[in-house]
This record gives sequence, structure tokens and C-alpha cells, in this order.
Amino acid sequence: MKFGIFYELSVPRPWDKEAERTVYMNALEQVRLADELGFDQVWAVEHHFLEEYSHCSAPELFLTACAMQTKNINVGHGIVICVPQFNHPARIAERAAVLDILSGGRLQFGTGRSATWTELGGFQANPDETKKSWDEFVHCIPKMWTQDRFGYEGQYFSMPSRAVLPKPYQKPHPPMWVAVTSPGTELDAGDRGIGCLGVTFASFAEQEAKVKEYRRRIQNCNPVGSFVNDQVATVNFLYCHEDNETGAKIGMHMIGHFNYMAAQLDMAKEAYPAKSYPAAGLLPSLRRQASAPGEQAKAPEGIAVGNPEHLIGELKKWESSGSDRVNFLLNAAETIPQAQVLDSLRLFAKEVMPAFADSPPQHAAAGGAS
Amino acid sequence: MPVFGKQDVEAAAARAPLMTGFDTDSWELKGAQILQLSYEIAEEPAEWLIPPALHPSIPPYVTLSVMQYPDSQVGPFALAQVRIIVRAGIRPRGYLLGAYVNSDKAAQELRARWGFRVETAIVSLQARHDRVIGTVERNSETILEVELENPEHISGADVTYLASLHLARVQDRDTPVVVQVDPEYVFHNAQRGRPRIIAFEPSAWGGDGRLRYTSPIIATMTQCDTDLPRLRFALDPSQPAATGGWRLAA
Repeated sequence: MKFGIFYELSVPRPWDKEAERTVYMNALEQVRLADELGFDQVWAVEHHFLEEYSHCSAPELFLTACAMQTKNINVGHGIVICVPQFNHPARIAERAAVLDILSGGRLQFGTGRSATWTELGGFQANPDETKKSWDEFVHCIPKMWTQDRFGYEGQYFSMPSRAVLPKPYQKPHPPMWVAVTSPGTELDAGDRGIGCLGVTFASFAEQEAKVKEYRRRIQNCNPVGSFVNDQVATVNFLYCHEDNETGAKIGMHMIGHFNYMAAQLDMAKEAYPAKSYPAAGLLPSLRRQASAPGEQAKAPEGIAVGNPEHLIGELKKWESSGSDRVNFLLNAAETIPQAQVLDSLRLFAKEVMPAFADSPPQHAAAGGAS
Repeated sequence: MPVFGKQDVEAAAARAPLMTGFDTDSWELKGAQILQLSYEIAEEPAEWLIPPALHPSIPPYVTLSVMQYPDSQVGPFALAQVRIIVRAGIRPRGYLLGAYVNSDKAAQELRARWGFRVETAIVSLQARHDRVIGTVERNSETILEVELENPEHISGADVTYLASLHLARVQDRDTPVVVQVDPEYVFHNAQRGRPRIIAFEPSAWGGDGRLRYTSPIIATMTQCDTDLPRLRFALDPSQPAATGGWRLAA
């Protein structure tokens, strides 16, 4: 099993001049340390207008900075919103290729479609159409990367034949993923031969069922890219401390803040009735574990907060449920001081990572040949 | 921390209805028809429309609803309401700004049992093949006229109606409260379409006429069985909902 880190880049009010810069600089310091400690991936989301919850609207810039300050860690561009009002697919292909070149072939490419009315309404995108535009984009982007020229007439975009440049450094192209939020998207991932990037906080049982079906479907997939990426990643929180109770207390405090910020957004399911958004994104599971800022609740099943021994136990269960990778949120709204976040990373690398060093890989590592 | 409401609770409470208590029986409301429009609103007034217990959603929006109940303990009635969507801690809710009902008896019961800030007016709901029209007329003035245009059928499972929060005074209690009214719905039919506001008089719907709608989101029309339930939760309008709420009944 491999471990990565995952950024929403939440910025708490008050938004003084330094607030956003502090969050970005702290994140970069964490990424540099994570690279030194052997973490495998750093992911950054694309979100727009999500006050406090995520100020990460230009992840390709943040990830470029990450790439230029690190040596080994993969940079996960994801998810990129595959909706024409947000991004033209040729621009997505171009930006991703540049990031792959600058990182020396370390790009992981995640796709998705947004789950909030805050964003969809902001760009005047039709929630009924996002799944279809995502599908069109993920079929076209690999062709933009691999064909000398690409021309297309489709439902959500059309373009005359042009050379989409530059081409990615990885050949044939970087590994592709899709964010799995709505039920059934794991099946879309399997059918298209792309990685399953969990971005919701599922239970072990839910995750195991999803992974099982994903593994079954991907056997007979019709890959959208030039190769199949059959990796499953899940998302988690991380706060590791020598003392289990202290770790759980500080970790749950962070999670409480994350939940609280996420809950303020208008989810597509809530605001706009459409069959394309059957679930309210990550919020149902968060509300099940509802806690307010400052409340100290018991760490829910599978959440990686506590001492190393506890974390090893929980992460072994994720491994057993079929996950190849776990990507961790390290902080939310800067509730945990930076020094403690860094200490948590160091302790995790020292005490927890070795317990997974000899784990047989669930599946071959994702990656196009460089 | 998200933005909190800035409503002057004392001033708002002076206009709030007087409830006889928290312990009320539920009403079963079968065969209801509900037209609901959602519109984004301007941010700055949004904060002033809700009490400090609550957060405006991001972005803030309102629901404008016209409901027809063919049968109830007080006979048939039609109700119209405007709510601003808020967060009570992490829970999405609709905070009632104002309501009108076409029955004196219903108005009395709605105020006393569930804390509706409601007055009487002519309220009508007309379902046609090309549109659904809801209107409220008070003192010969149309204070609300809304439409759902080009209805298309959807699944009732796709419709989300948020529970309501009502600011009220309660007999034998010194301070105002916000009570939660959380009906259940069994949908028989659901449609959605383009929302259109033809007439809206802000001063008639609470908030000192501050409400300004901006971008349309969606309109829905449903036929359903619903209820006005026993009150289950209340909160202090002056304290953050995460810490200032309490359970009334199981």
C-alpha cells in the first residue's frame, strides 16, 4: 500500500493579507517533507468559490510549485473539472502535459465534474449534463496527448484539427483517474479502464463492495486511454501522535472543522433536483458523523487519527478492503499548528509506513512508461 | 469560521408569532401540491435576514413556495412562504421570512402550534400543462406571482425539501426561540422546470424589505402526502446552533 497527501487548501476567516499565502506556504513545506519521507503522491483539487473550504482554484500552479521543490513525489492533478463551462478540454490537456514535463513525468491525472451548486451555478453549468461532458472529455483528452493532431465534433465541444501541444513527458500519457463520489461512478471508472480515486469517506464495507465491483468491471473494460490504470485510492484524514488519545482528540478537532466548512456549501443534490446527482457528495457520511467545531468525538471507523499502532490497524483494514493507496488530508482551516502537522508526518513515516513496506501490491503500480 | 447571521433578534421577535407551547399534535396533510422556486439572493442582505444562530449558505438562496392542502384538521387551505436557506451548524435548513394562508383558522393554528409568521391573504396555485402558477394577493395587491415554466417529469427521489426554522415567542418563556418544523414527504408525482418571478414585493415578506433575488436556480412541483409534525428541536436564536440547540420530543 502507498500513501499520499491531498489538499483542499482551506483558508479560515478572517482573510487578511497573509491568510491565503500562509496556507499555501504551509502546504508546500508539508509537501517537501512528505517527499523526503517517502510519501508517494500529492493531490490538489480544483474547486471554485468554496469560501473557506477550498481556495484551490488553480491546482496546476500549486502542483507545479510542488514539483519544482521535490524529487520523487508524484503530483496528482485532481480532480480537473471536465465541464466545458469550467475548462476547455484542450486547455486541460495542455496544462496537464506541461505539468508532466516540468515534474519529469510525475503527473497523475484525475478527472471529475463538481458536486456543488456553488460551483456549477457559478459557471452556469447545467447539472444534468456534467456526467455526459465528463465522459466526452475523458475519451478525447488521451487522444489529444497521443495523436499528432486532434479534431472533433461532439456534443459538449468541437474543434478543427490542431496539434495540442506540448505532449506529456510520460509515454503514452500519464495515468488517468476519476473521482468517485456518486454511487456508480466506480463502475464508470472500471468500464473506462481508469483509476478509482475515492474522495468520500466510506466505511470499510462500502469500500470493499465498491472495489470488488470495480475490479470485476475493469477486467472487460474499454479503456479510454492507451493503457489501463486499475488502481484504487481512498481518502482519509491523518493525525499521528505518540499518545492515542491526544492524536484522536486533535485529529477529531480538525475533522470537525472540515465537516463544518463543507456543510456550508450548496450541494448540487440539495439545490437542484437531478438524477445525475443522486448523492450529496461527501456530506452524507460527514453528517452521519456530525460534530461541531470544538467537539471531541470518538474517531469513526477507519479514520487515521491516533497513535501509530491504531493507525496501522485501521490502514490494514483499508488494505484488506482492496485499496492500493490512501491519500491523507493533513489539516483543515489551519486548526493544527504547522509544527504539529510536520511532526505527525514524521511519526507516520517512521512508525507506520514500515508496517506496509512489505505489503504485496494489490495491483501493478499505475504509470505510463517514461 | 463561516459568516453568522446579523439579524436583530429582539426586533424580529417583536413581530414573531406567539406559540402556546412546544407540545403540539401533528397534522396529516394528504394529497398536497407544492410549487417551490429557488433563487439566489444578494449576499449582504442575506446576513441581516437571519439570526446569529445560523449561517447563510454559500451562495445564499431563498425558496418561494405555494402549497395547497386539500384536507386538514381545519379544512382545506393554501399556504405561501418565503424562506432563506441557512445552515444550523452543519444542517441545511430553510429559515422562514414570511408566510400567507387563505384561512383565518389555519393561520391561527399555524402560528400557535408551529410558530409560522403568517398572515391571511388570497393564495392560489394553478397547475396547467405548460406551467404552474402560484400567486398571493393581499389588500388587492399582488405580493407574489411565480411560475414554473415547461414542466418535465422527474423522480420524487430527486427532490429535496429542507426542514424549516421558525422564529417564535412561546407563552411563559422570556426569550424567543427558533423551532424546527420538519415534515416528511411521500411523493406521488414530481416535475421541475424553469423558475420565473413575475411579481415579488420584498416588504411583504419580512426582512424589512431587504431581500433581493438575483439568479434563478430551479422550480419544482410535486404531489405528495406530507404532515406538520410534532416539534422535535428548538434553538436559541442568539447562540450558534451547534451549541444552542435542544431536543423537544423524541
